[in-house]
Amino acid sequence: MRRVLAAALLLALVAPAGADEAEPPAWAKALRLRGRLAEEFAYRLHDPGDVSKLKTLGWLDGKYAFSESVAVRAAVRGWYDAVFEATDRYPANVERDQKTDLSLREALLIVGLGDLDVRLGRQQIVWGEAISTFVTDVVNPKDFREFVLPDFSELRIPIWALDATYRLAEGVSVEGVWTPDTRTNKLPKQGAEFQFARFPYRFRNPVVRLPDDADEFSLARSEGGVRLSVLRQGWDVALIYYDEADKSPVLFQRRVAQPPGPEVVVLDPQHPRLHIIGATLAKSFEPVVMRAEAALTLGKRYETANPLDPDGVVGRDTLDWLVGVDYTFFETVDTALQLSQKVLMGSATNLTRAGVAAQVTTSVTLRATTGFFDNTLNPTVLFVAGVNRGDFRLSPRIDYLVSGAVTLSVGADLFEGPHRTLYGQFDRNDRVTFTTTWRF
Amino acid sequence: MCRLALTVALTLVLVSSARADEATDLVREADRARRPADSFVWKISITSQEAKKAPSVDGFEVFVKGGGRVFVKFVAPPRNVGRSLLALGRDLWIYLPDAGKPVRIPFSQRLVGQVANGDIARADYAGDYDATLAGEESVDGVACHVLDLKAKSKEVTYSAIKYWVSKEGRRPVKAEFYAATGTLLKTGLFDNFKDVGGHRLATRLTLTDAIRKDRRSVLDYGELTVRDLPDKYFDKNYMRTLD
Repeated sequence: MRRVLAAALLLALVAPAGADEAEPPAWAKALRLRGRLAEEFAYRLHDPGDVSKLKTLGWLDGKYAFSESVAVRAAVRGWYDAVFEATDRYPANVERDQKTDLSLREALLIVGLGDLDVRLGRQQIVWGEAISTFVTDVVNPKDFREFVLPDFSELRIPIWALDATYRLAEGVSVEGVWTPDTRTNKLPKQGAEFQFARFPYRFRNPVVRLPDDADEFSLARSEGGVRLSVLRQGWDVALIYYDEADKSPVLFQRRVAQPPGPEVVVLDPQHPRLHIIGATLAKSFEPVVMRAEAALTLGKRYETANPLDPDGVVGRDTLDWLVGVDYTFFETVDTALQLSQKVLMGSATNLTRAGVAAQVTTSVTLRATTGFFDNTLNPTVLFVAGVNRGDFRLSPRIDYLVSGAVTLSVGADLFEGPHRTLYGQFDRNDRVTFTTTWRF
Repeated sequence: MCRLALTVALTLVLVSSARADEATDLVREADRARRPADSFVWKISITSQEAKKAPSVDGFEVFVKGGGRVFVKFVAPPRNVGRSLLALGRDLWIYLPDAGKPVRIPFSQRLVGQVANGDIARADYAGDYDATLAGEESVDGVACHVLDLKAKSKEVTYSAIKYWVSKEGRRPVKAEFYAATGTLLKTGLFDNFKDVGGHRLATRLTLTDAIRKDRRSVLDYGELTVRDLPDKYFDKNYMRTLD
């Protein structure tokens, strides 16, 4: 009933534009309104087979242009996941965290002053050339409550920020970003469908884990960086520098005496400061497109299982890089192949993070998509594999374009690999999905 | 004898050079029937049809400045709204709201129906192809020059085009588009000529698949606004702002 009412309201908003052939008033021409409603269903295939998502999701996105140089934009997203009514397999803390959501996804003032463009407000700032990876996409924190399965625009958590771009010359621009919004990645709660494999602590002493209560806003801990972007002779090159707190918590250990009892091990989640220096590159050698990215993260710290380590954390500067090619086979099958590596500047022994398999962790990504029946039926397959331990994710999907506004999607997310690997940790979370999306 | 051979050879070179110049001029003038001004915005709709299926309609706003700068905004249907294309010379990006950033793509990738990205993002045949005169033919009663166009580089949409340009008015009439293998990909027919802003312009291009003749895409060129567009419209970093 709620969906019917929402649909009726949206139709009432949209219908006058189509019904009236007369020239719309100036304010209506300056206003752009769009949105979507989606019904997302997922069925978990193992242990036990059960519904794992029954989410109704709505987006509303508006833009009003006061002039060619000044505009405001706003977007809100809301969802209700009825899976928590359909099953009792998830604990109450997960239900509180994931059952409903109403969030401001964008609230932005955009001002253009000649060659200077300023974007002030809540936003996503996306750096990088590659698809389906975050090597230089470092500005926004991410929402990993459904692993990395949603669209990346859904994964990124928007932040309040000032983003200014100045065009120095044709094809050359410099972008500066500053934000006091230091919110961190959202991780799934214990018991959630995509809860990450837990760190295998084996302490004999009592353990107390402190809450991760880093302030969401802090001038003192504000973050920022610059990107220099150059396009010359078809070579698209960008250099970046970004200074931020690690968006994932690192658990520092300390022992606190509690006489007459034994020492208590305190796990203190902290967000160490990171300095990220990176570069991106893209070039078309028609019909092949090549892209590459690299990011050196200085100050990166990892938890270690080494019992002799005093704080349970070691520093390892880390280089992430990738190279990829896009090619269209038989003029109908678009493919993208990427090779990426995470290289630790030091030993990876005793490190327990799922994404770190060794000192050099290698992965390959292949995505292929094509279209049938004048592109109304579009199969896509995404395969991502960790080379070191053989874990992988395979996500086939078929999108059927029922009309210009309605899309039906059927797909699956299959995970394989040893436990505690990036994809293997979800070995029992294979699922099939069915999604209906209506855009307006 | 030697002098005679030299004279003949020189004459042949001059004649062939003059014919090449004439061919290039023909293509350049025909290009003008597809480019009304140096800086303009043109609304285009593409109707794709296949066999007995209901046609689908895609809408675009095409912003053009200078020879090689084109920004294409997707305005219909709803599933495509928010997307855009930017062509700078032989470089092409697509902006997808789901990705949140411009992504480099090849010109040859299909945009919609029988239409490749290059069909609306590039209209500069004179700049992209070497032309030679191949003869004369009549197309639907219109006397035409026939031109062979060969791609100057691999970075253009088609490897070769056979191009029919009317003798009177030097307007584009028909084109056959070929892959590098020599395979005919599709045929285009230009028509619905109208006087817009002092130019005689083709306002419809019908593209038909070479193998499946029941697959057609009709590009209708609608409302035209001639104005000086800001340079920043043609910067990939500005694509998100124009969403």
